Amino acid sequence: MIPAPSTRQLVVALKRSVGARAAELELKWMRQAVEQPPIPASLHPTPTFEEMLARRVAGEPLQYILGSQPFGPLDLIVRPPVLIPRPETEDWTIRLSERLRPTKSKPISILDLCTGSGCIALLLCHLLPPGSAHATGIDVAESAVQLAKDNGAFCGITVLDNGPPLCADFPKWDSNTFTPLLANIRDPAFVIAANLRPPYDILTANPPYIPKSQYDTLPGSVKDYEDPRALIGDLDSGSAQGLSFYHMIAALVGDKSRPILKSDGIIALEVGDGQAQEVARILHEQAQVHHIEIWRDPWDKERVVVGRSSP
Amino acid sequence: MRNFCRSCTQSRPQLLSSPLVFRSSPYLFFKARYLSSTQNNALSRFDGAPILKYVRQKVEERSKLLSLISDDFSNAEDVSLAKRIKDLEPLETAWKEWSNTRKSLQETLPLLDDADPAMRALAVEEHASLLETLTNLLDSTFPTLLVPASDTAHLSALVELKAGVGGSEASLFLAELVRMYTRAANTLGWRATTMSSNMLEGGNGMKDAILEVKGDKAYDALRWESGIHRVQRVPATEANGRVHTSTVAIVVLPLSEENDSHAGKDELFSPDEIKIEVMRARGAGGQHVNKTESAVRLTHLPTGITVSMQDERSQHQNRRRAFQVLRARLMDRKLSREVMERRAVRRNLVRSADRSEKIRTYNYAQASLPPMLIFYSVIAHTKLQDRVTDHRLGLSLMNLMSVMEGDGLQEILQALEERYRNESLEEVLTQ
Ligand SMILES: C[S@@+](CC[C@H](N)C(=O)[O-])C[C@H]1O[C@@H](n2cnc3c(N)ncnc32)[C@H](O)[C@@H]1O
Repeated sequence: MIPAPSTRQLVVALKRSVGARAAELELKWMRQAVEQPPIPASLHPTPTFEEMLARRVAGEPLQYILGSQPFGPLDLIVRPPVLIPRPETEDWTIRLSERLRPTKSKPISILDLCTGSGCIALLLCHLLPPGSAHATGIDVAESAVQLAKDNGAFCGITVLDNGPPLCADFPKWDSNTFTPLLANIRDPAFVIAANLRPPYDILTANPPYIPKSQYDTLPGSVKDYEDPRALIGDLDSGSAQGLSFYHMIAALVGDKSRPILKSDGIIALEVGDGQAQEVARILHEQAQVHHIEIWRDPWDKERVVVGRSSP
Repeated sequence: MRNFCRSCTQSRPQLLSSPLVFRSSPYLFFKARYLSSTQNNALSRFDGAPILKYVRQKVEERSKLLSLISDDFSNAEDVSLAKRIKDLEPLETAWKEWSNTRKSLQETLPLLDDADPAMRALAVEEHASLLETLTNLLDSTFPTLLVPASDTAHLSALVELKAGVGGSEASLFLAELVRMYTRAANTLGWRATTMSSNMLEGGNGMKDAILEVKGDKAYDALRWESGIHRVQRVPATEANGRVHTSTVAIVVLPLSEENDSHAGKDELFSPDEIKIEVMRARGAGGQHVNKTESAVRLTHLPTGITVSMQDERSQHQNRRRAFQVLRARLMDRKLSREVMERRAVRRNLVRSADRSEKIRTYNYAQASLPPMLIFYSVIAHTKLQDRVTDHRLGLSLMNLMSVMEGDGLQEILQALEERYRNESLEEVLTQ
């Protein structure tokens, strides 16, 4: 039997794989998490320091090991295989919240497609004034919907279990609300099936956008741990540029027989490296979205396409 | 000699004599000075205190103002007169108490020599208690009323530590100082967090660190920690037992309550003066990458001040932290500027912290000395002893361990605060 590697060997291995400076920070965060678990043990049993180190060296993302990821002022629970919230998403969600000026007397409704951990909807709910925002999150993965619920409760946001609230009932709520729902947005009837209450003021989504061709080249910590359904943007048919979900969302927004967005409602979609122009075109041509802006992320990549729906 | 007079401000034990401060510090001088002098003498010593002269002046000024004010508030200046009268009221009250107590004290004097032992005992007791009241008025009540309240009392503190000379020894000591401040903060009811730190490659030490100390009066209490801290000891790794001298430079910055870094409305800077950079390339970024890449660097363009932060796990948190540090640095500049301006208009006796000044030395006993040296050390007794010397106070404490555990530091902090108050008072008195 091969003896288990010593802590020292593991530390050396970690330094080799992520670099000395990053390793030092990661070790510090692991120690902190052991001393002060960011997530209660009932939701995420805290491993020992050695266990953490061994898992990290094996390639597991640090966030899954620690069980949490800060997202704006929130601490979110993360749990494999639900996608770990990214800093790019954090950045544009905060930026979007600063654009919105809802009040309790003029509340807004938000539809967050592909909600995953619930990060976008929850951060908006957290940042907007109490009673001013009511968000619904849709995901096809049960693990995601469950995590989104747990996160809502963990962040102190009111989670509604009996379906999305009626617009007419918004004034009854003194707090913001979040309703995570299981549904497949490929299903043409999902709006009805999920009992959604369109039209919405805001539609957000960070849909899977990685082209199938790039999937195999992803780092192991992504490919081996995060749900392929959260990453791959090409469905069986289509152009293989990772844009399937944008076509789907454009069709949803463009369908004026059952408008999903209010006239002049805001649509904000995160996109992959190099996809922004094409997504802007799709939204413009297929969904008549206007006032389109492209926002860059802190690393100077075009990251979000934002626009307004036409009547 | 009174403790506020001009000639004895430099590092004299008198400065530490406030009864408020050192009740439990046996190695420090004490108010006993008053009590030990012969009874009569005590009174005349009190009477000569410059602070009394000043208070009397103020009280006289107040009566003059009272006579100026019209009964029916008919004059234009009446409102401002009334305000000044009102402001001087607490001083007037304290002065009355002083005069009455002094009178009572004088009345007890003959009884101290009374033939009746019971009477004498009573008088002694009475006398002691009156003396105590007077001392208190003189050392605490009057100074508090005269020295303007601190306008930085509400601020928390950032303690920035950088290893100086001494290589890894300095880094080790830096980590110990971080621990010392963390513990002291806990005992004082503040919350201390290590906001950022750079560990020494492969060791236990830290090359630098920033400590956030949150709580009431944290900045006021810690600001005198700015300066060079020196440690003298035999490093654990040193085979031949030679004493090394290493230094850590500390700067304490004022930390105001944060407002949101994103919304960025701030009197210290405007958002367009700040350049925000993320530290590393992320490749395609987004869903393609799940590495924690959260380092942030801020540059304040008008001053060129840069702050890098990477110790937190998210962009947002690092940005928030970096803004806190930047704000603290800018606030620090603003405060020093104000001190300079004040100094320009009038003679300012209050020292400001000189950050390049060597302020304190921590001496460790040379436990690992070879036998021969120990022998000599016994002769040069102090050499063997752990001690902390604060060069500004001219004070050595023999309880190095207690200082490093945080408790002993409190006493030094209080002494420094006291020194500052005395200097401020002196400034008021010589205006
Ligand atoms: C890139 S992740 C985004 C998660 C989260 N919004 C975020 O920003 O971190 C995409 C999410 O879309 C979900 N998803 C994939 N296909 C879907 C579909 N057909 N209908 C609904 N959700 C889907 C995945 O389960 C995954 O949680």
